[in-house]
Amino acid sequence: MAVINEYLRFMMDRSDQILALTGEHIYLTFIAVVIAIAIGVPLGILITRVKKLSGFVIGLANAVQAMPSLAMLGFLIPFLGIGSKPSIVMIFLYSLLPIIKNTYIGLTNVDKSMIESGKGMGMTDGQLMRMVQFPLALPVIMAGVRISAVTAVGLTTLAALIGAGGLGQMIYRGISMVNNKMIISGAIPAMILALLVDFILGITEKAVTPKGLKK
Amino acid sequence: MRPSKSVSVSLITILILSLLTGCGGGDEGKNNSNANKEFVVGSANYTEQYIVGELLATLVEENMPDVKVMRKLGLNGTMVVHSAITNGDIDAAVEYTGSGLMQILHKDIIMDPNEAYKVVKDNYHDKWHIKWLQPLGFNNTYAMAVKRDYAEANGLENSSDLSKVASKATLGCSMEFSERPDGYPGWKQAYGMEFKEVIPMDPGLMYSSIKNDEVNVISAFSTDGRIPAFDLQILDDDKKFFPPYYAVPMVREDKLEEIPGLEELINKLGGKLNDKSMAGLNAKVDIDGMDAHEVAKEFLKEEKLIKN
Repeated sequence: MAVINEYLRFMMDRSDQILALTGEHIYLTFIAVVIAIAIGVPLGILITRVKKLSGFVIGLANAVQAMPSLAMLGFLIPFLGIGSKPSIVMIFLYSLLPIIKNTYIGLTNVDKSMIESGKGMGMTDGQLMRMVQFPLALPVIMAGVRISAVTAVGLTTLAALIGAGGLGQMIYRGISMVNNKMIISGAIPAMILALLVDFILGITEKAVTPKGLKK
Repeated sequence: MRPSKSVSVSLITILILSLLTGCGGGDEGKNNSNANKEFVVGSANYTEQYIVGELLATLVEENMPDVKVMRKLGLNGTMVVHSAITNGDIDAAVEYTGSGLMQILHKDIIMDPNEAYKVVKDNYHDKWHIKWLQPLGFNNTYAMAVKRDYAEANGLENSSDLSKVASKATLGCSMEFSERPDGYPGWKQAYGMEFKEVIPMDPGLMYSSIKNDEVNVISAFSTDGRIPAFDLQILDDDKKFFPPYYAVPMVREDKLEEIPGLEELINKLGGKLNDKSMAGLNAKVDIDGMDAHEVAKEFLKEEKLIKN
């Protein structure tokens, strides 16, 4: 108990700093994931229309995902400098793949008979996408967003290395001072954040599932 | 249990136990040769530390071919190096008197370099049986640095002058500096000012970030080759906040006993460098892009401390 108390006291002493870093962490993650959604979902839709592109786009996103994130961060410094800009770009690039992939899979797996009946009712391609395909694929797309967002929370800890702040800063300071209290003070809020994001997006995923698909 | 099964179980148990206890019987027949002896050199994670780490490692490697030299360079800061050497993960590293005094031992500042050296040396011996050998000769202190044109535009000559700009300036520093008592927490008290923002980062990035105007002030290392190369100006520490940081090789005492002649060999490096020559070696890595190992080897050759 004494140990836990000591850790808690340390966190209380540093609560201002921990809160500020948590704020930075949320900011970096949020911006990056929002951009990833804004680009990833349309790109996913595009490659269901222009099938020739699908192999290329998914392959490229796969390759980006395979690159070590630390190397990516270092690689971006000459172009974007230090701080939040290169960090957001790095997190964005890593968040892209699950979103593109799930959008593509979600849309291509929509029951053919649904599309047929849509066409039978005289829907245009746009209406078909808006009113049939997209709503039906939305749960799968949201699952991709969820994976991206949870991964992004973890990735954002790296941003501290290039002066962008976030909870990683607490962790790296803790490592350089060999201070476990400091490491834990960075790690626990990051874990809570990841679980929270997972929980909230999990609820959203259920909420967007069309009535007919709910079991 | 069938007999064959129980036999195999016990055989496996014996095998595991013998692996765990390492009963290979290899340690018998000790003789005077240094064969099978290991010497592990550690260092922190910035250029100068890589170079001085390589100096130690290469010196021993070339002069004591029997000793197996291993490098654990690039550890994340003074405290990590300290815990590695106290628990025996590394045998030697180059540490700075000021860091030992203030960050490790939590003593009050001592401005006299010789006295600081003596206090650190005695305390390390008593507390951890680690011996501080002859100082290498240079003093790599922390130094607040700004770009020359920034200093001129704002009339900055010494660190106290920073109060003119602190409220709108950002400080770039290492993660370590942002936490150390002889770093920012102590500095802002001594000088009675706080910067608008402090951005901790990888130590090597400080210099390029000030060069690109991403920060205004950095807590530079005074022997860094990028200070002249990027036209940075060091602001005099007029409040005498930073202690001297003379670089000194420190070695575990059990290792010095295990390898005869090791202490004498490393002491040959004593006094071989000064602030300027160390800055020159750092510049070879940071400006010319040479490898720390090559730089160290070249230096040792010039000083005739290794043969080829």
